[in-house]
Amino acid sequence: MRRKTAIALAILAALILASAGCGGSSSNNATGSGGSETGNAVEGGILRVGSINYIDSFNPFHYIESQAYNAFIMLYPQLVQYDYQNGAYVIVGDLADSWDTSKDGKDWTFHLKSGTKWSDGQPMTAEDVAWTINTTVKYASGPTAVMAPALAHVKNAEATDPTTVVIHYGAPVGNALAQLEQFFVVPKHLWEKYATGDGKGLKTYAPEQDIGSMVTGGAFTLKQYEKKGTTVFLPDPNYWGEKAHVQAVALTYYTNADSMIADMKSGQVDWVDQVPFNAVDVLKKDPSIVVQQIPGAETTNITWNSNPYKDKNRELLDPQVKQALSMCVDRDKLIEVVFNGYADTVESLPGHISLYENKDLGPLEHDCAAANATLDSLGYKKGPDGTRMVPATTGKYAQPAHPMEYRIMTPTSLDFNGDRAFEIMKEGFAEAGVKVSQWVGGDSTAAYEIETTDHCDPKTNSGYTGWDIAMWDWVGYVDPDFMLSVVTKGQWCSWSDTGWDNPDYDKLYDEQGTTVDEDKRAAIVQQMEKMVYDNWLYTQLVEEQYIDAHTSGWDGMDPHLNAYAKMYWTEPHKVG
Amino acid sequence: MRSFDFVAKRVMFAVVTVFVAITLNFVLFRTLSGDAVSALRCRQCTKEFKEYQRQELGLDKSKLEQYKVYLEDLAHGDMGKSLRSERPVTEELWAPLKNTIPMVALGTLFSIVFGILVGVVCAWRRATWADKTGLWSALGFYSMPPQWLGLLIVLFVAGAVGLPTAGIKDPTLGILGDASTWDVLVDRLRHMILPALTLGLVLYGEYALVVRSAMLETLGEDYVLTARAKGLSNWRTVRTHGFRNALLPIVTLVALSLGFIIGGSITIEYVFSYPGIGLQVVEAIDQRDYPILQGAFLLLTLSVILANLVADLLYFKLDPRVST
Repeated sequence: MRRKTAIALAILAALILASAGCGGSSSNNATGSGGSETGNAVEGGILRVGSINYIDSFNPFHYIESQAYNAFIMLYPQLVQYDYQNGAYVIVGDLADSWDTSKDGKDWTFHLKSGTKWSDGQPMTAEDVAWTINTTVKYASGPTAVMAPALAHVKNAEATDPTTVVIHYGAPVGNALAQLEQFFVVPKHLWEKYATGDGKGLKTYAPEQDIGSMVTGGAFTLKQYEKKGTTVFLPDPNYWGEKAHVQAVALTYYTNADSMIADMKSGQVDWVDQVPFNAVDVLKKDPSIVVQQIPGAETTNITWNSNPYKDKNRELLDPQVKQALSMCVDRDKLIEVVFNGYADTVESLPGHISLYENKDLGPLEHDCAAANATLDSLGYKKGPDGTRMVPATTGKYAQPAHPMEYRIMTPTSLDFNGDRAFEIMKEGFAEAGVKVSQWVGGDSTAAYEIETTDHCDPKTNSGYTGWDIAMWDWVGYVDPDFMLSVVTKGQWCSWSDTGWDNPDYDKLYDEQGTTVDEDKRAAIVQQMEKMVYDNWLYTQLVEEQYIDAHTSGWDGMDPHLNAYAKMYWTEPHKVG
Repeated sequence: MRSFDFVAKRVMFAVVTVFVAITLNFVLFRTLSGDAVSALRCRQCTKEFKEYQRQELGLDKSKLEQYKVYLEDLAHGDMGKSLRSERPVTEELWAPLKNTIPMVALGTLFSIVFGILVGVVCAWRRATWADKTGLWSALGFYSMPPQWLGLLIVLFVAGAVGLPTAGIKDPTLGILGDASTWDVLVDRLRHMILPALTLGLVLYGEYALVVRSAMLETLGEDYVLTARAKGLSNWRTVRTHGFRNALLPIVTLVALSLGFIIGGSITIEYVFSYPGIGLQVVEAIDQRDYPILQGAFLLLTLSVILANLVADLLYFKLDPRVST
């Protein structure tokens, strides 16, 4: 009996001793941005990747999670994909070797690589591409709705010979290649049996349930799938492109980053695809770990309810007021305190990653004295307690005199310390004589429900009431089309989180979508970015850096290629 | 006859509780903002896709209609389909449940064994260093939130002892060759140790405290004094007269804490990325996957009710006063 008690006590002692003895750290071995090439490349090895995102499906017609999209890139052929060359993203061929377009921009002809095969040895031809496109278009409002946006305006496709496919568009499309980069080709000989009747089979087919019969055509095949565990990919010997250096990639899902970082430090993970800000400095001190940091695509913003039909606190519809309050927020402090220095300031909605970023916007100065002068000049005088008052107004949207006191909604699902970020905003707003309180909006779903409001309906202009200010984020993309769409009326009650309604902007959005000339499209896009900026729909606060880390026994990792290219997993290799 | 009444009443009570729980499971989750479709936060989730999904999943029907369908399906033993994966709930729950049960069993076994041992020793050696050490360690672990203790173990213990902190399987096991059953078994056990230890340590504290208290009460009874006066050995007095009579509150506690064990395993599984029922529940809440939540909580309810029923019946056996 005493011995067993002693064991229990020994465990307690071991815990305490372990906690006392593991706080040490070693010297810094961090690299700058971009992949570094050190040592000789060695073929083989299992690359163990840690991620806080999981794969929910291997069916490109039915998936939700972003990690599934990354898996599709590795498993399925695309006509084109992005590469990162000389500091910029460029479209390069994947299954397509080259392409050309008709003068009116409505017909795109893709010349495919010859001799390509699926993982089961069947030939991969233009017929597979045409069939996947036509099937996606056919069921676009139902089972294939997830992949259909990549084929916006496509009428049909035809295979004119085994290596040539022509895609016919109903209208010229400005970003046809960028859209097709998000389109995956599936083998007709396996999938056509699901494209019958109402096509539901296309959505319900789950290749991961019978991995042995799964047919892929990318750089890798699937060996093992555990949704909340490890998924294993093996290089496909039939792949036509640059072969992977590794023998396998084992992608392990972690629900929390702390465990992942602990496993990396103890040598159980080779590569972490997204390092949390509070762990970067710790990893940088470890000589066996290489940290890479690049400008990221995720921007954090103050979201202003810009619904022109809202009935309360309408003073916040005035861009001058929103700008003045934004000028009181110390973005540098936010970067240092909340993001440990691993973020940069940003001005435009699509962010730095966008091909057409309008670099003439801003910068937003931290100048609260000027902001106070603006608010004074607008007639918002400070009351005895230092809080500014809004005078009563008349007319359709009349509101009584009221103090400038607001709630700022922060979702609980932010990937940074939202509470601390709110405190910094609160300090700034207080300097301007505006009182704010934090309104924790729950997870993403709950917070978005608050933003759009129950019974949201664009036809009756209902929704987007009951809140004024939120703090949230967006993840941009190389082509700005999606980010530009989120403030259109067409996205009311869907992606719109501002409730803005501006027909002129919507017209420009349609126009950029059908402008094939790149320079002309860039000009329209930048004009739209300026409209968003001038109306202060968002106050762009910071752009988070994208940080990955790998052990020094590996090299060839390029974080720029994450979610864009097969090279992301084919180029990593061991170093000898 | 009285015995039959006792058992019948308990069983009836359990059945009514299950029905109430089924209804509450349906209502409570639907008070959350949004649904499984509005929870879709992906770039490719267009308006068209969401409308199609809402129809397909029956979310366009009224809540009352959904409730009727739910009850009808349940009466046929069908817990419905996951709104996210669109696979049967039973399949979606069975796989994680298979992972949770051995981990929880290991943790509970650890806690019962050590909790009882430490509790008995503390009471037996009251006011000695052994009692103080056991008492303080039990209080310490009992007061720790499971997820916090789990994080401490991840950060400070896992690396030192070389045990994995995530998942149930080594990422490289069986990739380039077949793994033997023994290898798989050892690997599973290695992945189970830290989450089970976390759960076990938290429960250990509670069990040790209750056992100590129950033992102290029993050891102060006159019949224990009589036993000692008769010349029985110290050990025999504690074992046959003290411990046996202190068993009643322990049985109740183990049964009552089953709900906590599963509840506690939710946060522990999250910390250790352990793909069990707890992780499944967290994900289902985030995704507003009602059928999964209903199924998981129905299982939880059933297991707690069953455990309490078993405890009641054990009482019937252990305590003659119940049946007389």
